[in-house]
Amino acid sequence: MGSPVVEVRNVQKVYGKKGGNQFKALNDVTFSMQEGEFVGIMGPSGSGKTTLLNVISTLDQVTSGEIKIDNVDITDMGQDELSDFRSQKLGFIFQDFNLLENMTIAENIALPLYLQGTPAKNIDAKVVTVAKRLGIEELLQKYPAEISGGQKQRSAAARALVHEPTVILGDEPTGALDSKNATSLLETMKDLNDRQNVSIMMVTHDAYSASYCQRIIFIQDGKLHKEIHRSATRELFYKEILDVLAQLGTKNA
Amino acid sequence: MLLKLSLAGMKGKLKDYFVLLSGLVMTISVFYMFQTLSWNTEFIKSNAMIRNIQLVFIVGSVLLSVVTILYMLYTNSFLLSLRQKQFGMYMMLGAKKKSIKKIMFVETMVIGCASLVIGITVGIGLAFIVGYLLAGQLNITLEGYQSFYLPAVLATFIFFIVVFLCTALINHIKLSRVQVLQLIYSDVHPDDMPIQKKKNSWLILLGLISLSLGYVSLIFMEKLREIGLFAAPTFTTLGTYLLFIGYLPVIVNRMQANKRWTSKGVTSFTFAQLNFRIQGLTKILATVAMLIALGAGAISAGLAFKNSASQMAEMMGAYDVIIKNPNAEEKALLKNIHFTEENQYRFKEDPDYTYYLRDDLENQRPLLLVSDGRKPKFKRVTEDLPEGKISLSEVKNPEVGQQLSDEWDRALWNLRTNYRVFKQMIVLDSETYHEIQGQEKLMYIGKSDKFTDYLHEWQGIDKLALEKDPILTADDLTSKYSFYNMYSSFTSGTMFMGFFLGIAFLAMMASCLMFKILSGASKDTSRYQMLRKIGVRRSALSTSIYKELFIIFLFPAMVGLAHVLIGMNMFSFIILNPYYRIWVPIIIFLIIYCLYYVITVKLYKQIVLPKE
Repeated sequence: MGSPVVEVRNVQKVYGKKGGNQFKALNDVTFSMQEGEFVGIMGPSGSGKTTLLNVISTLDQVTSGEIKIDNVDITDMGQDELSDFRSQKLGFIFQDFNLLENMTIAENIALPLYLQGTPAKNIDAKVVTVAKRLGIEELLQKYPAEISGGQKQRSAAARALVHEPTVILGDEPTGALDSKNATSLLETMKDLNDRQNVSIMMVTHDAYSASYCQRIIFIQDGKLHKEIHRSATRELFYKEILDVLAQLGTKNA
Repeated sequence: MLLKLSLAGMKGKLKDYFVLLSGLVMTISVFYMFQTLSWNTEFIKSNAMIRNIQLVFIVGSVLLSVVTILYMLYTNSFLLSLRQKQFGMYMMLGAKKKSIKKIMFVETMVIGCASLVIGITVGIGLAFIVGYLLAGQLNITLEGYQSFYLPAVLATFIFFIVVFLCTALINHIKLSRVQVLQLIYSDVHPDDMPIQKKKNSWLILLGLISLSLGYVSLIFMEKLREIGLFAAPTFTTLGTYLLFIGYLPVIVNRMQANKRWTSKGVTSFTFAQLNFRIQGLTKILATVAMLIALGAGAISAGLAFKNSASQMAEMMGAYDVIIKNPNAEEKALLKNIHFTEENQYRFKEDPDYTYYLRDDLENQRPLLLVSDGRKPKFKRVTEDLPEGKISLSEVKNPEVGQQLSDEWDRALWNLRTNYRVFKQMIVLDSETYHEIQGQEKLMYIGKSDKFTDYLHEWQGIDKLALEKDPILTADDLTSKYSFYNMYSSFTSGTMFMGFFLGIAFLAMMASCLMFKILSGASKDTSRYQMLRKIGVRRSALSTSIYKELFIIFLFPAMVGLAHVLIGMNMFSFIILNPYYRIWVPIIIFLIIYCLYYVITVKLYKQIVLPKE
């Protein structure tokens, strides 16, 4: 284990105006994530998991507390700084892929490199390398409309990886995929994590997807509920997750 | 109940309906403005310098109708897209297709009628304001011009009712064909595919041929006459559309393929976005190019007619002012004018003859106008005057007469101030001259540095000339100013029509392009949001939008202006130099166009880049 890549300290996120109808989406959340970890965030709908991912991914701002990524405090950055930060340090995989349908797969993958001003001559090599890693090198010249959902998500993953970000953030990356494609993508992510030491943080409500993580943080009503580590096989870990979810379910009811 | 649902559905998309309605209102009011002139045959016949003006308006009406119908088809598909999802939901909840179709029909007609009433009202208002302002600016009175003109109201009404009925029918047929599920998921588009560009060589070739035919008929309009009047607009329009459809995607594709441009920052996205959009924009951009050509062309023609008066005046003669015996008041006015040349000639008069002194003429040889028919050129008189002592009885003898050289004959002929009094002019040596009885007078001639800078002074001098000589009327004066004034009053009607139509066409162009870009903007929102998420600065996105829309705006402007530059040839048979100061209307147009580009960008940004 290396140094912490993400540190979340006493984070609060409150929606609504003071004195009005306030809603605490995140209430004093603290945790950290080490370099090379594969962390899952789980919780029932409305628990605040997407809000947590949004504040970590700098798309939303916290009401109070501190978030450090790669030892940089992102809570007091301006909009432009945050944009640059996102384009350099973070890689995103979204549920609905969010590929730009007006660009080829190669152009989509290369986009973060263009944004960083990487010299044009280096770009092609990097794109091909990352495409090979994800097994999509035949698709590079196609447009998103011409490929399947699983292939789109792999392309999105390639785009998230190409600029070698500090951490990859996934928001239900398997949500729109069938089970076969989902498994294949999860295997790939695990492989990236195992072999290339890529740090991944993924929000999911699906226990099967979560079972690929090393550690899972459960959130409920904006608070940290529980944290479990994988110690044995994935199958056992899957059962453990289901148990926690069941617990959460009965408590709700 | 269905009506209530329909109204509730419309309320939710008020902003979109506003865009739709304002687009329709603009089209209708411009159409109406055109019709006020087109149907007012008395006005255009009595005010136009073009013999076939009626034909020009017929051709214009056809062009405008084509453009309007195309535009209406766009607005209609936009209207349908606004409602599809809700209709699907109603049907899922049990509404019959028949009633859905009825709602759509009623809605199309209601929107149509509402925009028609508002549009005609706005049109009347605009016609009045534009007419009033122009008349004031151009200093002309418009006899017979009516901003509220019943035949125009009727024509607009009938035309648009028919168009709205057609679009309602189209919607009816479209709705009959679709399934409920298609309606419900109408806003979930499968990822659109950029169409692979086949080189439409034959389209491009056909476009080039017909554009060349159009240009040739514009250039040789004078020889082709009526044939040219039909061929020019038909072929130019056809060529423009074919080239935009066939060639524009190819150009944009080439631009995108240039890696040197597109591999920096967000530019790759800009060009991808442009390439993606351009297929759907070709027809509207061709329409915009035509509207620019018509609008800027009409304004240029108007200005050319305005300028032609001063050019015609320049062709009148070498000197701007000729005064017989200038008095104190006239001298005071002359003092305000900067002259490049002033001459004074002594002369004496009797009832039949005017006698000039040879020495005066010899010492101040006047200028003569020698023109090639286009530009005034000047030449000083070089030929000799009759030498030696001249016997008066001999020169007065009509059979012998005084044999003046050609140049001198013309030069002296120019020393007249009115058409009323004709006296033969005789040049005498000083000895004979002094024998003539009668008071010696002075003929003053002057050439200013710029005729049009002193219009006010010339007017004053003409007025004083009439006061000095009560038997003269304004029509008798031969002064340059009186000619200028007469010619101006001829051209002002044509000039008014040019400006009026130019403004109308440019307004239509604005509404057309703005509508197309803004109605498609909501579909682009998700792309910009995604770029925001992966870390593109807001400012970079903003730059990208500026660039993309700039290129979109650039093409029609270039083509439209090319049409104008070629098309001005058309007027060469009636105006001395149609290209005189052509940059003035072009710059005016560019300023308006730039302003309008900035507004479109701002509005577009508001839709795709919401505030954070």
